[in-house]
Amino acid sequence: MKRSKRFEVLEKRPVNLDGYSEEWPEVGLIAMDSPYDPKPSLRIVDGVIVEMDGKPAMEFDSIDQFIADYGINLAEAETAMAMDSRDIARMLVDIQVPREVIIPLTTAVTPAKLAQIMSHLNVVEIMMAQMKMRVRNRPANQAHVTNLDDNPVLMAADAAEAMLRGFAEIETTPAVSRYAPFNALALLVGGLCSQKRVLSQCSLEESSELKMGMQGLTTYAETVSVYGTEAVMTDGDDTPWSKGFLAAVYASRGIKMRFTSGTGSELLMGNTEKKSMLYLESRCLYLTRGCGVQGTQNGSVSCIGIPGAVPGGFRAIAAENLMASLLDLEVASGNDQTFTHSNMRRMAKLFMQMVPGTDFISSGFSAVPNYDDMFAGSNTDCDDYDDWYVLQRDMRVDGGILPVGEAEVIQVRSLAARALQAVFAYFELPEISDAEVEAATYAYSSYDMPRRLMADDMKAAEHFIKEHTGLDVAKALWEKGYPDVADNLLAMLKERITGDYLQTAAIFDAEGKLEGALNAPNCYQGPETGYRIAPERWAKMVQRKNILGPKDF
Amino acid sequence: MATGEKELTLELREIGIAEATGPSGEIVIALSPSFGAQQRETIVGLSHAIVVRELAAGVEEEGFTPRFVKFFNSSDLSSFAHAAAKLSGSGISIGIQSKGTTVIHQRDLQQLDNLEIFPQAPLYSASVYRQIGKNAARYGKGEVPEPVPTLNDQMALAKYQIKAALLHIKETELVVGKKPPVEVQLIIEEVTRL
Repeated sequence: MKRSKRFEVLEKRPVNLDGYSEEWPEVGLIAMDSPYDPKPSLRIVDGVIVEMDGKPAMEFDSIDQFIADYGINLAEAETAMAMDSRDIARMLVDIQVPREVIIPLTTAVTPAKLAQIMSHLNVVEIMMAQMKMRVRNRPANQAHVTNLDDNPVLMAADAAEAMLRGFAEIETTPAVSRYAPFNALALLVGGLCSQKRVLSQCSLEESSELKMGMQGLTTYAETVSVYGTEAVMTDGDDTPWSKGFLAAVYASRGIKMRFTSGTGSELLMGNTEKKSMLYLESRCLYLTRGCGVQGTQNGSVSCIGIPGAVPGGFRAIAAENLMASLLDLEVASGNDQTFTHSNMRRMAKLFMQMVPGTDFISSGFSAVPNYDDMFAGSNTDCDDYDDWYVLQRDMRVDGGILPVGEAEVIQVRSLAARALQAVFAYFELPEISDAEVEAATYAYSSYDMPRRLMADDMKAAEHFIKEHTGLDVAKALWEKGYPDVADNLLAMLKERITGDYLQTAAIFDAEGKLEGALNAPNCYQGPETGYRIAPERWAKMVQRKNILGPKDF
Repeated sequence: MATGEKELTLELREIGIAEATGPSGEIVIALSPSFGAQQRETIVGLSHAIVVRELAAGVEEEGFTPRFVKFFNSSDLSSFAHAAAKLSGSGISIGIQSKGTTVIHQRDLQQLDNLEIFPQAPLYSASVYRQIGKNAARYGKGEVPEPVPTLNDQMALAKYQIKAALLHIKETELVVGKKPPVEVQLIIEEVTRL
């Protein structure tokens, strides 16, 4: 066939480099509404669930059993299950029905019913409902802070810059797991060089992640994964009860935590029991709630290439974020993984959470160039900062971060690198040279950093985690002449003891004050209600360098 | 591949249930259920014959001996790689899935931890597999080598995740619940394509 020149051009467009797939319900490759999904049902006898979603209690697997025992608000269950799911869907988008009327109902239905409610909503309705149902009044954002070489000096500087830009949480992960204690240390020290409090975490094998939290090197945890099928849960060496136990351990040590799950994960792990991605995610969220955990990171997260490849994928992903809010969970809503070559696709996906606002719009905006992002790259990276700021300005939408000046960025990066240098010297860890401090202060990425001897760092990191806690780090900072940073760290450790930041959706503001479901709940009820950008914040959000004004004419 | 080109074929000959009695100078290389069987190349078309040859060569360059063990009871990389480390005389294993995802594991670590992990299968060429073999052997000697340089392509996922999922589903279909791991001999032959 003689080729059409137009078709030849289209074939080369970025969108055509992405992977796509047909629906294939037999292996669970379908976003939502699979013919194999169960029909909602619930029977309660003497306060005990004897049938759920078409399955009698005798046939429950461990996930069903856990949800039946702990996941559903039984007091309202019969009322809520008797309602037409379309009527509940309509309540979600009706501004006359406030959030506090909806939560008792949506926490009292079954996983299949919650997924069914979603199937009545189109994407605009999902966004409308998300705006109303988000737990915290003010939306926020989270950053990834990592680099290819696990360079701790650069990581501390990047953490300081990310916190300065206003990310409410910063998250790292090592390229090589033995480096993890230094990664955690870099975020803790770096973050506290630009803000009074820091929520920082290091994603890792679960017992190591917990250990670092208990020792005060991290202050929240997020990568505690749950799955919607028993086989995948077991592959991860887990049961719902072991996850619940882990959640309780974090709470007992005053560490904020959320679970993570998302559409496509069971398929990626090879076992879906032929169920749709959204139904399986619904089970994960009930499990999360049943464990008493305050929130979730979902929205397909690192599996987005799976739902993103099938029809209706973005809609299902937006729906899973909404389901989390309907279960009264804090939601860190994905947008943290590259999944497309197309700028139009990545923005369209992002807008479904950015425009309505979620508790954390991205659960990992890459604060470094994507090639340094050890979560395999995010949907937005540090090259997108100015685009993000302009979009906030264009739409008067709060995407959770603020423009910053070059001089103040250089200043906090320098402080963070020097503070970490001092901490390394105090504990006699492999030396951080002045040249490294200088490079980290002005760096764009790990390519700008002198190489470190990674084997020596890893040996020292393993030793460090055996000997020292966050309190020792505060002492080191104090003795080495960084009293302000030491004070911030001590105050952050005290937060662990009061435990107020374990409340649902809690974050710290620039003054170190808490904001969350308890003292700043979402109060949206139509135009002129809910979160509004304060005039002082708006004045910062509209700032740009290349901007014309009366002064120019 | 065009007619007349040479290609390597790999046959895995089962030689009995894998025991945990190997010498301290060995690295167990654990192969997933579909490896060299239903699937014969990685996600980017690198022949499994080349992958195992390079892993083995890397181990041997450090004066260690590779022992190949095929796993049937799990397609989960951490799970079978950790089981393999427990079989290994040195306590170190390399685990590899059919699509090419690879890990260096150690007996004393938690299952979901590792010494080094290579999660982005589309990026790994023959030379990376050789470096993985070398580093595994160096851990076996009790050394702390510089890690194999990390490769990261944020676009790999956009292009390959759906393919990776489908390959993994195919691999998982071959899992046989309680079947024990089996030691295998590799027969690699060069054939000319007719």
